[in-house]
Amino acid sequence: MKGYLFKKIIYAAIVLYTIESLIFLIFQVFSPTDPMTAFARNPMLSAEAQDAMRRLFGLDQPLSTRYVKHIVNMFTFNFGFSFYTRTPVLDEMLPRLRNSLILLSLSLTFNVILGVLVGIYAASRRGSKMDVLVMGIGLFTYGAPIFYVQLLFFFFLANPKSPISIFPPGSMTTIPAPTDPLAYMADLAYHIALPLITLVVAQFGWWAMYTRSLMLDSLTEDYIVTARAKGLSERNVLLGHAFRASLTTIVTMVAVIIPSLFLGGIMTEYIFAWPGVGQWFLNSILVSDYPAAQALLWIYAILMVGSNLLVDLIYGFLDPRIRVGVRR
Amino acid sequence: MGIAIIIIFVSIAVLASKLTPYDPIKSKFLAEAVAAPQWATIFPSYRDLPPTTEIPANWDVKQGSSFVHVELSTGLAVVRYSGEMEKDDIYLEAIFLYPYSPPMTFSYQFSWTAEEVKRMNYALELTLVNEQTGTSYSLWDSYYGYNVKRTPEIPPLTKDVNSTSVKADSWSTSELQSRLQLRPGYAKTIFSEKGEYYLLMHIVFEPTSENATCEISLKDTKITIPGMVWGILGTNHLGGDIFCELVYGTQTSLIIGVSAAFFMTAIGTVVGVVAGYAGGIVDEFLMRITDIMLCMPMLPLLITLAFVFGRSLLLLVLMMSALYWTYEARIIRSRVLSLREMAFVESAQAAGASNTYIVLRHMIPNVLPIAFAAMVLNVPSAIVSEAVISFIGLGDPTLPTWGKTLQYAFHSGGFEKLAWWWIIPPGLALMILSLGFVFIGHAVDEIVNPRLRRRR
Repeated sequence: MKGYLFKKIIYAAIVLYTIESLIFLIFQVFSPTDPMTAFARNPMLSAEAQDAMRRLFGLDQPLSTRYVKHIVNMFTFNFGFSFYTRTPVLDEMLPRLRNSLILLSLSLTFNVILGVLVGIYAASRRGSKMDVLVMGIGLFTYGAPIFYVQLLFFFFLANPKSPISIFPPGSMTTIPAPTDPLAYMADLAYHIALPLITLVVAQFGWWAMYTRSLMLDSLTEDYIVTARAKGLSERNVLLGHAFRASLTTIVTMVAVIIPSLFLGGIMTEYIFAWPGVGQWFLNSILVSDYPAAQALLWIYAILMVGSNLLVDLIYGFLDPRIRVGVRR
Repeated sequence: MGIAIIIIFVSIAVLASKLTPYDPIKSKFLAEAVAAPQWATIFPSYRDLPPTTEIPANWDVKQGSSFVHVELSTGLAVVRYSGEMEKDDIYLEAIFLYPYSPPMTFSYQFSWTAEEVKRMNYALELTLVNEQTGTSYSLWDSYYGYNVKRTPEIPPLTKDVNSTSVKADSWSTSELQSRLQLRPGYAKTIFSEKGEYYLLMHIVFEPTSENATCEISLKDTKITIPGMVWGILGTNHLGGDIFCELVYGTQTSLIIGVSAAFFMTAIGTVVGVVAGYAGGIVDEFLMRITDIMLCMPMLPLLITLAFVFGRSLLLLVLMMSALYWTYEARIIRSRVLSLREMAFVESAQAAGASNTYIVLRHMIPNVLPIAFAAMVLNVPSAIVSEAVISFIGLGDPTLPTWGKTLQYAFHSGGFEKLAWWWIIPPGLALMILSLGFVFIGHAVDEIVNPRLRRRR
C-alpha cells in the first residue's frame, strides 16, 4: 500500500508540474498582450514608471529565469499581487474559495442524496410509470445545458421586474451584511436558495439515472434472490443488500465528480453574481489580470489532480487488485 | 424521435437563407429595440402595442384659396399658384388613424418639388395635430435657419429657381426633439391617445411681382412608426430579428458541433488504437499523456485559451478537439486491447500481415461503431461548450450563435425588459438540439456497445 501511495503521489506531482509549465507557456509566452497591459491602461503611467513596474514584477528578465521563478513560486503558493486589485492574490482568493466551497459542497450533498434516493426508488419499481418518469426527467436534465436552466430560473424568479420574483438578484448577501449571526445565516440561506435549487434541478437527474442503473445491475445478482427467499423485507433487501453493493461505486463517483463541480461552478457564479472563485476567474481573464488568472488555473489544476489522486487512493483502498496491479 | 429532431434542425440550417431574408449580423432597426413578437398581441399586456406601420398620407384640401389650384391624387398633391399679386396661403391635411398605445419614436418623411418658380417667394410648414388633445406640433418647415419659434410673419424663403427637390425626414430624433422642445419620449406625448391625427401642410405664396407662378408638388409623404411588436420572435436590442438569429445560429451550431465532435473522436480514436495495439512503451507514454490531459481543468483552460488566442470559430473548434479527446481514447483503447487477443488477429499475423495492415483492416473497422456512438454523444457537449464560451463574451463576434444571442439578452437589458421572446427561444433550441443528439447517441450506444448489449 505504501508503495502504491508513493508512486501515485510522485505521479501527481509530475502531472502538476507539466500543467504548470503549460500555464506558464500560455500566459507568458503566447499571450497576445504583454502582462503589463492591465497596468498600462492607466494613462497617467509614464514610460519610466512602466519600466519600473516591469522590473518590479520581474518581467524584463529572460524567459528561463522567469520560468524557474514561476515554478518555484507556484509550488510554494506565492502568488504575488493581482494586477487588477493591487492586493495579494492569496488574500483575494481565500474568501472566495470559501464561498465557492459553500455553494458547491451544498449542491453536491443535495444532489447526491436526492438523486440516489430517487434512483433507488425508481429501480425498485422498474417499468412502472414512476420509473419511466424518472428516466425521462434524468435524460432531459442531462441534455439541458445547466447555465440555460439557471438563466431561466434567474429570469423568472430573481428578476426585480418580474412579477413572480421571490429571490434576490444575485450575490451572496445583502450589502451590508447583517451582523447578527442568525440573521446572517438567514440572509445567506435566502441568497443561496436559487443557485442551489438550479444546480440541484439540473444535476440530480443524472445521479438518479446512474444510481438506478447500478441498482438494476446489482438487483439481478443471485444473492438478492437468496435474500428474498430468506424472507427479508423488500426494504431490507433493497437498502441493505443491493444498495450496499453499489455504494462503493457511488462513493467513487462522488469523488470523481468533485473536479467537475468547480468547473460547472463558473457559470453558476457568473449568472448569480456569487462571489466565488469561478466568477473571479472569469473576471480576471476578461481584464487581463495575469497573476490572478494564473494562480486560479493553478488552483483548479491542483484541485483536479488532487481529486483524481483521491479517487485513485480510494479505489486502491477498496479494491486490493488495483494495488497490486493486474498481471497480464 | 431523436432522428426527427435532427432532421428538423438540419433542414432549418440548410434552408436558413430562404427562411429569412435578413442578415442577422447587419440588420438593425427593423423595428423598435426589444420588440415583442407579432403574435404576442393575444396577451392583454401586449395588446395595444403598435406594429411597424407606415402611414402614407393622402392629402386633402382643408382650406384653399381662389388663386391656388390643387390637384390631388393618391399620395401626390400638386399645388399651383397663378394669379394676382396677392399673398395667399393654403392648408392641406392628411388624416390618419392611430389605434395603438403610444410609440417610442416615430419619423416622418416626404419630398416636395418646386417647379416653374418665377418671381415668387414661398414657404412650407408641416405640422402634426393630435385631434384628441388638440395640440399641434410643428414638425418641419422650410425656413432654413430662421428662428424656429413661430412668428406672425413667415419669412420668405426661396428666390427664383426652376426646381428644387427636397427630401425631409426625421430619422435623427434629437433634431425633432429640440425643435419641439420636448423631453425624450416625445412620441408618447404626441401620440398620446388612440384616434385621429392629421398632418397639416401649410403653404404660403408671396408673389413679388405680376404674373408669378409656382408649382409645388408633394409626394411620398408618410409617417413611420417603428413597431413595438414585430416578426415571429421579436427583435433584440438593436432592432435585429431574433428569429433570423436563431435560424442562422442553427447553421453555426451544427457546424461547430459536428466538426468539433468529429475531430475529437478522430484524435481519440487514433490515439486509442495506436496505444492499444502497440502496447509497451508507446502505450504507457500515450496513456500518461491522456491522464495528464484528463487532469486539466477543461472549462477554465478553454476560457483562457479563447482569451489568449483570439476569438475565432476555427480556433474554438481546434481547442475543443485538443482538450476533449481523452474520453474516447480510453474507451477505444480498452476495446482495442480486447480485440487484439482475438483469434483472427493471431491468424493474420501468422499469415504475415504487417502491423499497419492489421490496424487498418481489422482494428479500425471494429472500433468504428463505438467511435461513431461516441462522436454523436460528443456533439451536444461541443455545442454547449461553444454556447458557454460565447455567453461569457469570448466567442466569435461575427458569427450568429445562440450563445451570443443569450449573451446580448443578458447584458443588454433583455432581462429588465422582460423580453421572454429573446431569452427563451435560443436556450430552448439548444436544449432540443442537444436532446436530439443525446437520443440518437443513446440509441446507437445501446446497439454498438458490447457491454450494454447483453442487457437488451
